[in-house]
Amino acid sequence: MKPLALERVSKQYGEKTAVNQISLDVGAGEIYGLLGANGAGKTTTMRMVLGLIYPDSGKILYKGKPYSQEQLSMLGYLPEERGMYPKVKISDQVIYLAQLRGMARKDADRNLKAWLEKFNISEYYNMKIEELSKGNQQKIQFIASVIHDPQILILDEAFSGLDPVNVELLKKTVKELRDGGKTILFSTHRMEHVEELCRNITIMHRSNPVIQGSLKEIKKQFNRERVILGADVPIHGLEGVAGVKKVEELEQGNGYTIWIDREETAQELLHHAMKQTVLTRFELLEPTLNEIFIRSVGESNE
Amino acid sequence: MNNFMAVVGFTLRNKLRTKSFVVITIIIAVILSIGVNLPYIISQFKSEEGATQVGYIASNIPEVAEPLKAYLGANEGSKVQLVSYPDAGSQDANEQALKQAIKDGKIKGYIVLEEDAATGFPKVTYKSENMMESGITGALRTALQAVKTENVIKDAGLSDAQKALLLMPIQIEAAQISVTDNVGTGKTVEQQGLAMGFVYAMIIVLFMGIFVTSQMIATEITAEKSSRVMEILVTSVAPLKQMFGKITGMFLVGLLQIVVYIVVFLVNVSLPHNKALLAGWNLNFGDLDPMLYVYALIFYLTGYFLYSTLCAAVGSIVSRTEDLAQAMMPVTMLAMVGFYIGIFGMTAADSTLVKVASFIPFFSPFAMFLRIGLTEPAWWEIVLTLGLLAVTIFVLGWISAKIYRTGVLMYGKRPTFKELRKAMKAYKV
Repeated sequence: MKPLALERVSKQYGEKTAVNQISLDVGAGEIYGLLGANGAGKTTTMRMVLGLIYPDSGKILYKGKPYSQEQLSMLGYLPEERGMYPKVKISDQVIYLAQLRGMARKDADRNLKAWLEKFNISEYYNMKIEELSKGNQQKIQFIASVIHDPQILILDEAFSGLDPVNVELLKKTVKELRDGGKTILFSTHRMEHVEELCRNITIMHRSNPVIQGSLKEIKKQFNRERVILGADVPIHGLEGVAGVKKVEELEQGNGYTIWIDREETAQELLHHAMKQTVLTRFELLEPTLNEIFIRSVGESNE
Repeated sequence: MNNFMAVVGFTLRNKLRTKSFVVITIIIAVILSIGVNLPYIISQFKSEEGATQVGYIASNIPEVAEPLKAYLGANEGSKVQLVSYPDAGSQDANEQALKQAIKDGKIKGYIVLEEDAATGFPKVTYKSENMMESGITGALRTALQAVKTENVIKDAGLSDAQKALLLMPIQIEAAQISVTDNVGTGKTVEQQGLAMGFVYAMIIVLFMGIFVTSQMIATEITAEKSSRVMEILVTSVAPLKQMFGKITGMFLVGLLQIVVYIVVFLVNVSLPHNKALLAGWNLNFGDLDPMLYVYALIFYLTGYFLYSTLCAAVGSIVSRTEDLAQAMMPVTMLAMVGFYIGIFGMTAADSTLVKVASFIPFFSPFAMFLRIGLTEPAWWEIVLTLGLLAVTIFVLGWISAKIYRTGVLMYGKRPTFKELRKAMKAYKV
């Protein structure tokens, strides 16, 4: 029984369809990536999972059971729009939020101290949110969403607005939570984070789930269409090879990036180049998630 | 239930810790203390001041001036005493001497009498540095009237008893009666004054307790929305629990504030010097109908829950605190109208306006309380008012809860009613 399962869930706002027939399930110890452009229906999907709005059709099951108030305490939510009480002491508001999710005051206090310790910011216990830097506010917000040790964690744009050091810190923490058996639904625009963290993803476009499955499988479906050629001297006539779409010189002048129409073209390119000089590098790249995203979302845009 | 108490506790704690709230409460308490002690403070100053000295020239129509001085001198509580100055020869020299006396602080002003053949009584001019001293001219007028009357009736051959009768001031006593039951309550003037004062004070307290506190709810909800902490709140606790938790918490805050004011008031009133003053005025809070306190509490509760649910709904549809005042306008108007009906209806508690208003739920906490305090409305009228209030609270509470449930999730520009209805349908609330 998967901890979180959506079955053909749809949501209409009047005439407009916000989410159309999305199905997905997330296992324990898994981070599931939910991708999509702005307005693609990610937030609506997450809000339905959180029970804020009810789906028009389809089912959302938590450990096989439908939504009820009790589920609230096992859900953790980090909203895209961050916000805490600016003028309330951090200990007060984080403990309050934990209490709302059914935690005892004492336990909440202990957990908060442990988390602050973990992030090395114990001295913020008695400070107010408005006194902190933006990055530290984000950390507090993150703590607020996980303090009650939720089984299911919903992270909307978890790493936005953070500097690289803090991104690494939070990424490490999210991985630890995953390894601790938590079920995590994760949305972002940053493809490199998805590639690093997620096993399975759904790309949404205009309310529809357009690509779904494991990241590996998805990448296999897309042709390798990019070749990197490395050479110390210029290579001539690359554009002339049949099947080459575009050639770009690398910034450092020590090679080229070449877009091709199918994988076989790569071999012809290799032959062509080897006739002219000794190559320092030859690589047929698998598509990045970024490319997949732009291709799948861009295609249906036309 | 646990969550509910957490919301109540958090609301309460936060508000009580806010600096501005504490400061405002202290300031109002101080103003209240000063207000209560003001009569005493004024009376302290008065006794030091004594009567105002007014000069006149002894030779200036003595047949009027002499009795005037005698009359003012004989009257113990008189605010004005005449001081005579010798004739310096000419009118200019006289005025010069009197002006010098004003300069020296011996007198406040002086009177000049001139023969007036047309009325047969001298024309009197009071001259002083200040303008419009109605207290002094009033006292002089009363005294002159008495002198004039005595001058006229002197030769009419009236007995002393008849003269005394003629000169005695007229007194009107007003007593309130009840026509609904057979036994007239017959409140005395003092009791009426006390009831009036109590109702007046209570309407202000009601307004503060009901509207000012409700407004704080709207502000807090909008603040939660604009700081986006609402996103986490609505996913942690059912919106209804959150809304009524906040309303309850704020109610306790308001109640606490009112209790503080009442305690400050009572402590000040029971200070020895104020007690004596109150006793002198024949005021005794025990004279109030105890039911009036009960009604005050009932109308406070009903009014508060009526306005607070409305304010919560308004607060929930606004995303930014800057827009709140505008969105609150209709509710503010309702509360203001109710308040002013209560205040201005004081002098005409029996008017149709007050009667009609006492059945309109938004105004009835003020208007009906006014009627109960100052007149004797029939029991069924009170029951009807409370019934209407209860129904309105229930209906509005239900609608407000729905609006709240929808509003907290809507960001961006303030939604129209149509958009709100659409969203409600979409959210299935």
